[in-house]
Amino acid sequence: MLQVLNNWFIRSNKSERLWLLAKIEFKLRYYENKLGLFWALLKPIVDVTIYYIVFKTILSSDVPAFASYIFIGLILWNFFVESTSGTVQILNTKKYLYEYSNMNKLEIYISTLLSNSIGFFFNLLMFIIFYNLIEPASNGMNLNSIWIIVLFLNLFILSLGVSLILSCLYIIAKDVTQIWQVFTTFLFFLSPIFYKHSLFKEALPAFEFGNPIAGIIINARRVLMQGVNPNYELLWFDILYALILFFIGLILLNKLGSKAAEKL
Amino acid sequence: MENTTTVDRAVAIKARNICKTFQISEDSHNTVKHRLFNLFNPPKTKYVPALKTMSMEIMQGECIGLLGRNGSGKSTLVKLLAGVYSTDSGYINVTGSTMLMNLGVGMSHELTARENVYVSGSVLGLKIKEIDAIFDEIIEFAELEGFVDTKIKFFSSGMVARLGFSIAVKAGADIMFLDEIFAVGDAKFQEKAIKVFESSWIKGRTVILVSHSMDVIRQYCSRAAFMKQGELVYFGDTEVAISKYIEDNQ
Repeated sequence: MLQVLNNWFIRSNKSERLWLLAKIEFKLRYYENKLGLFWALLKPIVDVTIYYIVFKTILSSDVPAFASYIFIGLILWNFFVESTSGTVQILNTKKYLYEYSNMNKLEIYISTLLSNSIGFFFNLLMFIIFYNLIEPASNGMNLNSIWIIVLFLNLFILSLGVSLILSCLYIIAKDVTQIWQVFTTFLFFLSPIFYKHSLFKEALPAFEFGNPIAGIIINARRVLMQGVNPNYELLWFDILYALILFFIGLILLNKLGSKAAEKL
Repeated sequence: MENTTTVDRAVAIKARNICKTFQISEDSHNTVKHRLFNLFNPPKTKYVPALKTMSMEIMQGECIGLLGRNGSGKSTLVKLLAGVYSTDSGYINVTGSTMLMNLGVGMSHELTARENVYVSGSVLGLKIKEIDAIFDEIIEFAELEGFVDTKIKFFSSGMVARLGFSIAVKAGADIMFLDEIFAVGDAKFQEKAIKVFESSWIKGRTVILVSHSMDVIRQYCSRAAFMKQGELVYFGDTEVAISKYIEDNQ
């Protein structure tokens, strides 16, 4: 089975093509504006500064290592939003890829998310440098931090699933863009991005199991900042969420996505 | 088809009982708001039967001509076979990569000529190294030497069409659908395009050619299909198909 999969991947040019499309997408995003790649680095810093001022200085939050706390929460959240809100119209903007050939549409999604992943890893690298070298209240990282790879894969599949669902719904309902915007704002405030995990748990008990993003952020902080194992129960829940949404997304892509060329 | 020359060849496209009906709603019911407000007032939908049920089999290496008047469903059939549209019934089995060429080719106007060559080449199934090898040929054939790193949104429509045609000629998919492509470029470029067809390019490739030019069809196609009002009236000998088409035009 593995052999077959391996052969298929090396002999066909699929992996090359995904990487090529991802690189071009990344270049389009960051090299087109004046600030260039610098913007990719600047944005999370600006975001963290704003939230830091509001919550630490004004509301005097008592979370230890607060800047790192928001930092990791925000970069995970930003990846999710970029990969979902940013791809609602993907079947429209990337029409040129499937309108003239029988290319698999799923590749278009994966390459766009790969391009977002490049941005994410830049940010993650910045976080690691910040947390280990600058953050005064840092505990340092340890081997448990490697769990972030699993958590990121989880986030990737989750975002891919949501992206598939939204962009396919876009074919029959154009205002899914606006609806999703409202929903993400809602989700943003219902995820423990800038407030304390214990406060979140008290106010909304068990909601960390209801919101897949919350679980990923909580676990990312456990493995990167506290140096402990992820909460396995939460991890399984989130992986299950991601797989279910991805599965629904694939069904929608087959049912609705196949009509994209004629409807959009 | 009882064509003796095709017996030993493999099937490139097998279509069984395919048909296509387009739904056109009169007002745009494509938002959630609209759908909710008009829950009890469903939109009037017009059904346009673009393609009536048909079956066909195309062998590898064949050049098939598609004939028919405007609106007879030629382009719809080509898009169905190329896998761009989904069929309403039946199935289509395609062996290999497909490429559809009509006035525009799959290129993004946000990308440069170089990037478009690489993206299209890759979509057509080539590896990066293989594209590297033919890159200069593509640019030379398209006569775009000075514009390699210019975004194609700044190109004239002729330049875009030439680039698309060059990619198709040099990179080429296993199965090519050519929808009225001889209208590309100036007289000099057209001459070049026709030369490509006269060379061995067409050999070993499966080509489905849509054209209103009887000469082109007669010259290159081993078989031809004649379509009328979404129906496949005849599929077989080129001369018979052409005479049916001329009859229909009278």
